[in-house]
Amino acid sequence: MATSLRGVSRSARALQPFSSTQFASVRRCASTQAPGSGATPAAASKNIPDLAELETRSALEAPLPSAEDKKDFRPWKRAADRKARLPSSRYQYHPPKYNRGPLHPIQSPPSSDPIARDFVPGPFNMPRLKETFRTNLASDLMTLAYIHIPPGTPKKEPTERLRSWEGDSPYFANRARRAPRGAPELPIRERDITFRNIPEIKEITVSTFVPAGLKDPNVLIVARAVLLAMTGSVPEMTKSKNSVVQWQLQANKTAGCKTTIYGNAAWEFLDRMIHLVFPRIKDWKGVKGSTGDGSGNVQFGLNPEDVQLFPEVECNYDMYPAKMIPGCHIAIKTTATSDRQAKLLLQGLGIPFYST
Amino acid sequence: MSSKLPTTLLRRPSALPSTTTYTAYSASRPTPSSPCTQQVRNATFVPRHRRPYQFTQLVQLSDGSTFTVRTTMPTALYKSAKDTRNHLLWQPSDKSLKNVETDEAGKLAAFRERYGRGYDLEAKMTPEEEAAIAAAVAAAGKKATAAELEAAKKKAEEEAKAAKAAEEEDPFDSLTDLISGYATPNMNPGLNVKDTRSFGRKK
Repeated sequence: MATSLRGVSRSARALQPFSSTQFASVRRCASTQAPGSGATPAAASKNIPDLAELETRSALEAPLPSAEDKKDFRPWKRAADRKARLPSSRYQYHPPKYNRGPLHPIQSPPSSDPIARDFVPGPFNMPRLKETFRTNLASDLMTLAYIHIPPGTPKKEPTERLRSWEGDSPYFANRARRAPRGAPELPIRERDITFRNIPEIKEITVSTFVPAGLKDPNVLIVARAVLLAMTGSVPEMTKSKNSVVQWQLQANKTAGCKTTIYGNAAWEFLDRMIHLVFPRIKDWKGVKGSTGDGSGNVQFGLNPEDVQLFPEVECNYDMYPAKMIPGCHIAIKTTATSDRQAKLLLQGLGIPFYST
Repeated sequence: MSSKLPTTLLRRPSALPSTTTYTAYSASRPTPSSPCTQQVRNATFVPRHRRPYQFTQLVQLSDGSTFTVRTTMPTALYKSAKDTRNHLLWQPSDKSLKNVETDEAGKLAAFRERYGRGYDLEAKMTPEEEAAIAAAVAAAGKKATAAELEAAKKKAEEEAKAAKAAEEEDPFDSLTDLISGYATPNMNPGLNVKDTRSFGRKK
């Protein structure tokens, strides 16, 4: 029989009913078949001697602690009377505070180790916008921006943007070329969107400038708290660059804060901003279409009324003093190499752009 | 001899410096009398990250879809009333989001029956209404001749054409129509206020 059962599946074996011999040999319920309750108690206890050692009384019938016992039971008193601290239960490893080079005998654990000083837990979820980008948007962008180049087309040489030295001087020969007129640096050149060059969100910088903080430092504290709540990263304070007498601005005084978020935090911030904040802004047309720094980064600003629409600010709105919530500038940095590619990406993610 | 060779590696601190190594060290590198010009960093501080506590929150959009986010707010469930799922800017094809009047109780219809469509923002007259206007005008003063009526009709048609062209030109301008609608020209030309009121009434 056993050999035949091997052939059938595990579930089928489980469904197989107990044979009568198995049922007789095993007592399945001790309380109903306890001695004195009925059929063949002696025979059963003879079969399984371990059951004879079972207590007949329930543990619930044990007597309750008396009033004196309760009075004497004071663990907090014992802890308070203790002179010295108890030793820790086991040896505790603390990672070194300093890295002293790769050849030092004491090495820091890797940052992925939960005990490392620079360990950051996570990720705890897949950002929704990131998933949308990976599953839908990336291929769409690639298709949208596809430029067909027939095979055999000669490769186009990029135009030379640096000026050559013109003149009769013999020293001009082999001299390094000149920078373009009017610009000390060459702007980034747009690269086509291909399967390995799809623009993506790199980082988001949120900054706020509160010159009122020169007079009232509380404004700076509020601005810092608002940015901390919005982005989930601790902002750093920034100083004013110039002094403007008419505006009572002094140079080199703390007058704002900024923070940069990367990776998943940036994706989630963008998601919250696009889907929860932007639709609630009154009479909002979108982001101005002429934004961008020419190299794939897009900037825009939010008013104080818009900032307080962020769910994190809104849920604790009473915490912030009245009229101290600042507006902010948001710079979205992408891996795109031109403004139009960056705007294509952000439009796909849901930011509306308007052209005046 | 090998201990005399200069090395770029970090110096290993030894608890018990033997005399030989000490002499070797002093021989190879004399004690600097002047302050060193180059920074020597034998230890790099490993900072602990400063970050606020973050909760995992379930966000429910207005269409019922949910997703989790990491956020600094302690609310476990965030239900949004207005988001991209029910906003016209993101859902331009959703007819329920457009500014369409609902008149289930027939109040608006009753109002129009009594006072006409002169109070409407964007009144679009049906041919029957236009005929009714013509009849009312003819009955009211018998001043408006057929030629005048024709001119008025033509003017209205031209205005409608211009408005349509402007709409096609700027698709984003549909919201500004709401504001400019206050200056709607009189839709019932040739009628005074009293006649305008009585014009739609059933006889």
